[in-house]
Amino acid sequence: MSGHVRVKDLRAGALKEGANLLSVQDLRTYFPTQDGVVKAVDGVSFEIEAGRTLGIVGESGCGKSITALSIMRLLEKPGRIVAGSISLDGFDLVKAEESEMRQIRGNDISMIFQEPMTSLNPVYTCGDQIAEAVSLHEGKGHRSAWEHAVKMLHDVGIPDPARRATQYPHELSGGMRQRVMIAMALSTDPALLIADEPTTALDVTIQAQILELMKGLREQNKMAIMLITHDLGVIAEMAHEVVVMYAGKVVERSDVNTIFDHPHHPYTRGLLSSIPRLGEKRKRLEVIKGVVPNPLNLPKGCLFQRRCPYAMPICSTPPPFQEVAPGQVSLCWLTPDFKPPAVGADAPAQIAEEAAAALSVAK
Amino acid sequence: MTEQFAAVPAATPTSGTVAMGQVATQTGEPLLRLDNVVKYFEIRGGLLGIAHVGDVRAVDGVSFEVRKGETLGLVGESGCGKTTLGKVILRLTPATSGEVYVKGRPIFKMGDREMKEVRKDLQVVFQDPYASLNPRMTVGELVGEGLYVHGMKNKNERDERVRELLARVGLNQSHIHRYPHEFSGGQRQRIGIARALALDPEFVVLDEPVSALDVSIQSQVLNLLNDLQDQLGLTYLFIAHNLAVVEYISDRVAVMYLGKIVEMADVNVLYATPRHPYTVALLSAVPEPDPRRRKKRLILKGDVPSPAKPPSGCRFHTRCWLRERLGNPEVCTTDDPPLRDVGGGQLAACHFAEQVTAQAAADSADRQSVFESGE
Repeated sequence: MSGHVRVKDLRAGALKEGANLLSVQDLRTYFPTQDGVVKAVDGVSFEIEAGRTLGIVGESGCGKSITALSIMRLLEKPGRIVAGSISLDGFDLVKAEESEMRQIRGNDISMIFQEPMTSLNPVYTCGDQIAEAVSLHEGKGHRSAWEHAVKMLHDVGIPDPARRATQYPHELSGGMRQRVMIAMALSTDPALLIADEPTTALDVTIQAQILELMKGLREQNKMAIMLITHDLGVIAEMAHEVVVMYAGKVVERSDVNTIFDHPHHPYTRGLLSSIPRLGEKRKRLEVIKGVVPNPLNLPKGCLFQRRCPYAMPICSTPPPFQEVAPGQVSLCWLTPDFKPPAVGADAPAQIAEEAAAALSVAK
Repeated sequence: MTEQFAAVPAATPTSGTVAMGQVATQTGEPLLRLDNVVKYFEIRGGLLGIAHVGDVRAVDGVSFEVRKGETLGLVGESGCGKTTLGKVILRLTPATSGEVYVKGRPIFKMGDREMKEVRKDLQVVFQDPYASLNPRMTVGELVGEGLYVHGMKNKNERDERVRELLARVGLNQSHIHRYPHEFSGGQRQRIGIARALALDPEFVVLDEPVSALDVSIQSQVLNLLNDLQDQLGLTYLFIAHNLAVVEYISDRVAVMYLGKIVEMADVNVLYATPRHPYTVALLSAVPEPDPRRRKKRLILKGDVPSPAKPPSGCRFHTRCWLRERLGNPEVCTTDDPPLRDVGGGQLAACHFAEQVTAQAAADSADRQSVFESGE
């Protein structure tokens, strides 16, 4: 319960601009299976300030959705948070009771998913579903909750909201449903919105509408957004800070301009150069060779080494998490100007381990 | 290749003037020609549910040509009819009217045997590599199925060809006995491509072939498609909604809206100077992977209208920014603009195509100034 009251109260005045709303430290979420332990999230750390947007980029299976579900404490069995802390304005969600989480979900943190049909109930009208969330969390009566629902539908740009509120999800188009889900997520004025591929299933014209909408709401409500996507265009458009994930680990983290101007990690560089861009005629696209490693059979040391054009012998020792520029950290052995590390490209394991410890920024 | 053409009966209606294959390209006959293709899905209603109460106009009068060796990109929002058009071309769904000509021969009324021959030349790769491969068949069976159907009954011979195809699409030849679930999305799409190439086709419909794939895998598959085109002289119809991908792979691009082609031109021309307001809006909506170029976009209002009740006149008029800027001229709601040459072979279906470029620039300047003063 304390989590619920606290964040709302703080946001009313006390939560300063620039203070961390969410702080995830060394999060580890593992899935024990018959064939071994899948380390879906393995030592992930990041912060989000109120009113800011953190973009999380990565390919399917890199652990970005599991990170989100860990924060929401909605992991499916056998998934389990085995280490780390998730602090929502000082309140540790990892240790929270389920009853406390129920208060926090929807109230302080809302989540929207890629496919709206899976998160909307087909047998209730859109208005009912939003009103339910409102009355549950805000303690409003049915009539005022319904009115609030209609207002929310209006706010997310749905024309004729009073009529749409009486309709069922199947009567709406994909873009409309996505807006209904956003309206539902925002109806309780959450401090943090987790958006997991919110526009991936939508057409570009509708995507542009939804992104514009999210930007407006971010300004209006000083809401923090954790935006999970594989679309670097959406990241460039929306994010202030960016975290790049690969095989359960954060491989690079920095502000959005730096990531696009001077990416450091070879994976980030590969991603950025492999996408076709408008107005750029190229004969051939750069590729990242190979595929994401099997989570049950990860390479020793750097997880990207089998696909990396810079791979060196030292890469079989876990690389340091280096600060390669102010505010930019990269999980890689390469120096900031892409040279082999000072200890040499083929330093023995023990020396390499010491060097890694010395080069790493504190977790 | 030439052997295949020899197998086609010589006495076709057009064979007097237009021969097949190589000769056809020299005489200018396109590989594929669509003539006013229409596909309506009937809506049944009434008391017994059998009365014909309306039509969903999925494809509503589409004509274009695809030349040998080129890639024609087909873009549009979901529900615009691009996938249906692909299926009509392959005769996977019957057309309501119109005709498709393959190397000059109309295919809609062909008998089964004749169509089977033509199908060898027309192949397709579908979007979802998880759904389009039978999970109970091995890679060898999946890729070799078409070969068996078309007479290659000897299993060793077939496996030999399958191995060759797997190598061609960058898969390990030893994978021939594996099942689809053992492969990643990108590898499955390669299996789908190998299957499409088994019969040595000339024309491949690629229906969103990379949109289900991860970013780093997309570029691998796009490069593969380009290489195969160069090596085998393939002709592609590339259906997609990602405008950057379409720009990368296409020679010419057609933009579809509510069942009609609204603009068609060479890729460079279309992307540099779009002449239909819908194309302008589509291009403006693409988020660019460059945080320093965040711009105030031209945002279309609302959703695509229902193809069961398309708007009167120009189908785009309900969402058109240009019409608004021009003070809502009446002609947009009354007359359906034809697809016409607006200069240099660029086709656009807009009454005011000549004003699009200037108005788009003015509109963008207006938005930018509002954007900046508002910040």
